[in-house]
Amino acid sequence: MGTTASQLRKDLLSEYQWRLMHVFFRAHKRFSELLSKEDRNLPTPRVPMEKVLSLPELKSNPFRKRICHVFSTSDMKDGSLTFEDFLDLLSAFSDSATLEIKSHYAFRIFDFDDDGTLDGGDLEKLVNCLTGETDDTRLTTEEMRQLISNILEESDIDKDGTVNLSEFQHVISRSPDFVRSVQI
Amino acid sequence: MLDELCISIVISSEIRRTGCLIVVFVKCWWNPLCLMEFSELQRQSSTIAHGYHGAQQSVRLRSKSVVSNQNGPQFNWGSPPSEGGEEGDSGPPKDLRERPMPMHLKRAIREVQQMRVPVVTNWQSWKRSKAKSLSRFRADAGGVMSYVALWRKALHKIGGHFGGGVQSYFMFLRFLVVLNFLSFLLIAGFILIPSIVFRSTSTTNMTVDSTGPEVCRVYDPNLQGLVVFYQYFLDLLSGTGFMEYSYVFYGYYNNTVAESSGFHYNLPLAYLLTSVFYFAFCLICIIARMGSALRVAVATGSGAAGSYSKMVFTGWDYGCQGDRATKLKQKSIHYQLQVDLEEERLQKKALSLTLGQTVGLCSLRIFLMLVSLALIGGAFFGIFNATVFSQAQVGAEGILGLFWVYLPSIVITTGNFVVPFMCDQIALFERYSPSTTIIMALFRSVFLRMISLGVLLFTLWSQITCFKGSKECEPCQYNNKDYPCWETRVGQEMYKLALFDFLITIAMLILVEFPRRLFVDHYSCALTRWVGRQEFLVPPNVLGLVYGQTVVWTGALFCPLLPLINTLKFFIIFYCKKVTLFSNCRPAVKTFRSTTSTIFFLVVLLFGWCLALVAMIYSLAQIHPSMSCGPFRSLTMMWSIVPNTFYTLSLTTQDFMFYMGSQAFSIPLFIFSCVVLCYVAALAAVYGKSVDLLKAQLKLEGRDKQFLVKQIEELSREMGVPTRDQVDTFDTGAAN
Repeated sequence: MGTTASQLRKDLLSEYQWRLMHVFFRAHKRFSELLSKEDRNLPTPRVPMEKVLSLPELKSNPFRKRICHVFSTSDMKDGSLTFEDFLDLLSAFSDSATLEIKSHYAFRIFDFDDDGTLDGGDLEKLVNCLTGETDDTRLTTEEMRQLISNILEESDIDKDGTVNLSEFQHVISRSPDFVRSVQI
Repeated sequence: MLDELCISIVISSEIRRTGCLIVVFVKCWWNPLCLMEFSELQRQSSTIAHGYHGAQQSVRLRSKSVVSNQNGPQFNWGSPPSEGGEEGDSGPPKDLRERPMPMHLKRAIREVQQMRVPVVTNWQSWKRSKAKSLSRFRADAGGVMSYVALWRKALHKIGGHFGGGVQSYFMFLRFLVVLNFLSFLLIAGFILIPSIVFRSTSTTNMTVDSTGPEVCRVYDPNLQGLVVFYQYFLDLLSGTGFMEYSYVFYGYYNNTVAESSGFHYNLPLAYLLTSVFYFAFCLICIIARMGSALRVAVATGSGAAGSYSKMVFTGWDYGCQGDRATKLKQKSIHYQLQVDLEEERLQKKALSLTLGQTVGLCSLRIFLMLVSLALIGGAFFGIFNATVFSQAQVGAEGILGLFWVYLPSIVITTGNFVVPFMCDQIALFERYSPSTTIIMALFRSVFLRMISLGVLLFTLWSQITCFKGSKECEPCQYNNKDYPCWETRVGQEMYKLALFDFLITIAMLILVEFPRRLFVDHYSCALTRWVGRQEFLVPPNVLGLVYGQTVVWTGALFCPLLPLINTLKFFIIFYCKKVTLFSNCRPAVKTFRSTTSTIFFLVVLLFGWCLALVAMIYSLAQIHPSMSCGPFRSLTMMWSIVPNTFYTLSLTTQDFMFYMGSQAFSIPLFIFSCVVLCYVAALAAVYGKSVDLLKAQLKLEGRDKQFLVKQIEELSREMGVPTRDQVDTFDTGAAN
C-alpha cells in the first residue's frame, strides 16, 4: 500500500481521532436509546419512524417525515432507520458536511413525490411546510400561484416546468447561509 | 469522518477475536471512561459486523490490520487519509466523504480504491503526506479555536431562537469586545507598563524640560486631600479629581526618554506610534472580517435576483428546536413571503401610475426629505449650543455641576432618540417600498450619530484653539486659561460620552423594557395590545455599538485606558442584551440576511473609523500640545517627535528611508499594484463570462433533452410500440 505504518502511528493516536470516537459513541448512545429492549439484540436493529420522530431535534421540524423517508434504506419504505442510516443523517446535517452533500439531501427532502424533480405540486407542499399547515398560516391561492410562477421563472433554467437537481444546486450556491442553516 | 469510524469499528470487531483489542485501547487511550463505553460498544458492534456482508475485500483488510497490530500499539483504521490514492490529491478519500451516498456504498467503493496500488515517487508521497498533515493540523486548530471561542453556546442559542439577523448583531458585539481587548493589550504593552516602570524607577530617566512661557506651564490638577465621599463617585463619573491626574488620561504621562546601559526607550515616540498603529490594527481587523463576507457576497452575486427561490429553498433553519421557535420561524417566513409578494404587486402598480401622480409623489418625497434634514440640522444646532454652554460652566459644584458637565452627552443622546423616531413617522408618508424605507432610516440614523459626534468635537476644538481669534490664545497658541491641559479635557469628554451611553443602555433596560413587558403581560387593554412586546430591532442596536466604538477611537489618543473601559462596557452589554432578548422581546418579523448585514455593519463601522481618523490627524498635526502636561509638552506639534527622532538615526538609514519615499521607488510600486489590480479584475470578468456560458449551455442541453424525448415519442408512436413514461427515467438519471 501507499504509506508506511510508522507514518500512521502518530496520526492515529492524535486527539483528532479521540474526538471522532467521542462523537461516534454519542451517536450510538442516542440511537440505542431509541431502540426497544428486544430489538437491541437483532443483527441490524431498525428504529421505527415514530421513535425517530420523537428526537427533540426532529420533533417540531416540518420536514421530519421526509427526512426519515430520505435516509431510510428499508425495503418497505416505512421510514425506519438502521444505525448506518442514522449516521448518514447525522453526518449530512453536521457542520463538516459540504455544500454538495447538503444540497443533494435537501433536494431529496423537498421532492415529495420522489420523481427526481420539483414540480408545482412539490413546490406547493414545500411552501405549505414552510409557512405552517394550518389554514390561517397558509398563503392564499392567488399568492401561492404568484409565488410558484416566480420561483419557476427564477430557477427553471431549461424551462421544462420543473426544478431539477442542477438548477436547485445553482440556486443554493448563491445563498451563503445555506450550509449554516442545514445543521442540527 | 464517520464512515471511517464505521470501517474501524467493523475491523475492530474482527480483531476482537484475537483478543488484542482491549490491550490496544488501553495503550492508546489511558482513559478508563473511554474503555467502558467501548466495551459496551463491542457488544453492539458485533451486530454491525454481522450485518456487514464480508465481501472478499474485507479479508484483505482483516489480515492487513492484524499484521500491523502485532507491531505494537498501532491501529490500522482501515483507510487512513494519508494513504496514497490516485494522483492529484487530498483526492479520493475526501471526495468519497463528500459524496451523498449511503454508507454501505461508500464502504464498497473505498475497498475498491484501496486495492489500487499507487505508483508515486518518494518526493510526491512525502509532499502528499505533508499536505495531509498540514490540512489535518488546520482542521484541529479550527476545532480548538471554535471550542475556546467566546460565547459560542450563547450565540448558537440566540441564532436558534431569534434567527440569523439578531445573531449577527451579537457576533458583531463579540468582534468589538475582542478588538478592544487586543487594542488594550497593545496600549498596555507599549505605553502603560513602561510608564509605570519609569515612574517607579526614576533613576536613569531623563525628563526633558518643557520650553515656553512660564504661564503656559502651570497645571494644577486640583489634587485634594480629604474630600467628601460622594465626591469620589462624581469624580468617577466625570473623570475629574482623583481620576484626572492618573494613568487614565493623557496628562499623567511624562515625556521621559529612558536610557540605561544600551536600553533606550523614547516614551513620547512610543505613545505616538502606538496610537497610529492602533488605528491601523483596527482597520486591518475590520477589512479582514469584511473580506471574507464580501468574497461570499460577490461570488453569489446580487441578493435581489432569485430571492423567491432562495427564500423557499434555503429559508428553513434546521437548527430550530421546539414548537415555539418553529412556529415563530414559520410565521416570519410567511410574513416575509407576503411582504415580498405585496411589494412586487405594488411595484407593478407603481409602474402604471400616471404622470400627474408620479410628480405628486416625487414632490411629497422631496418635501419630507427637507423636513428630516431640518430636524437633523436642529439637532446639530442644539448640540453646538449645549457644548459651548457646558464648557462655560466649568467649576460648578455638586449635582448641578455634574448635570452641566454631562449636558452635551444628554443632548446628543436625546437627539439620537427623538430624531430617528420622527424620521420614522415621516417615512410612513413617503410610501417607499419596505426595504428602501429601512435603508433610508438607517442612513439617516448613521448620518445623525456620526455627525453629532463630529459637531461636538468641532465645538471643543474651536474652543481650544480660539476659533474666533480671541486674545487668550496669544501666549501658548491654545486657550490655556480654560484648558491648561486640553488633551485631558478632550479625553474626559470622550470618557463621559462612553460612560453616559452605557448608563443609558442599562437604564433603558431596567426602566423601559422590563416594565413594558410586565405591563403588556399582566394587563390587556387596547393600549397594551397596540404597544405590544418589545421587538429586538437590530439596526438601532448596531448603530449604538458603532457610535460607542467611534467614541473610543476618537478618545484613545487622549485617554489610553478607554479601550479597556470599552471592553468591560461591551462585555456587560452583551449579557444585558441577552437577558432582555430572552425575557422581553418577541422576534422581529422582518428578518435580516446575516451576511449582507455583517457587511453593512462593518461599512458603518468604517465610517466611524474615518471620522476618528480625521480627529486624530487634526490633533496630531494642527494643534499645539499642552506645555504643562503630557508626553509632548516640549514640542510644537505632536507629530514632530517623529522627524526629530528620524534625524538621530544613522545616515545610511536616513538615505534608505528617503529613497523609499522618493519617486524612483514609489512610482514603480504604484504601477506594479495597478498591474496586479488589472490582472485580478480580468480574472473576475473571465469567471463571470464562463458562468454565463455554462448557464447558456445548460439551457441548450435542456432543450436538446426535450427534443430527443419528443422524437422518441413520435418514433414509438409510428412504430406502434406502447409509449412508456420515458421522461421519468431520464430525469431520475439526470438527478443522480
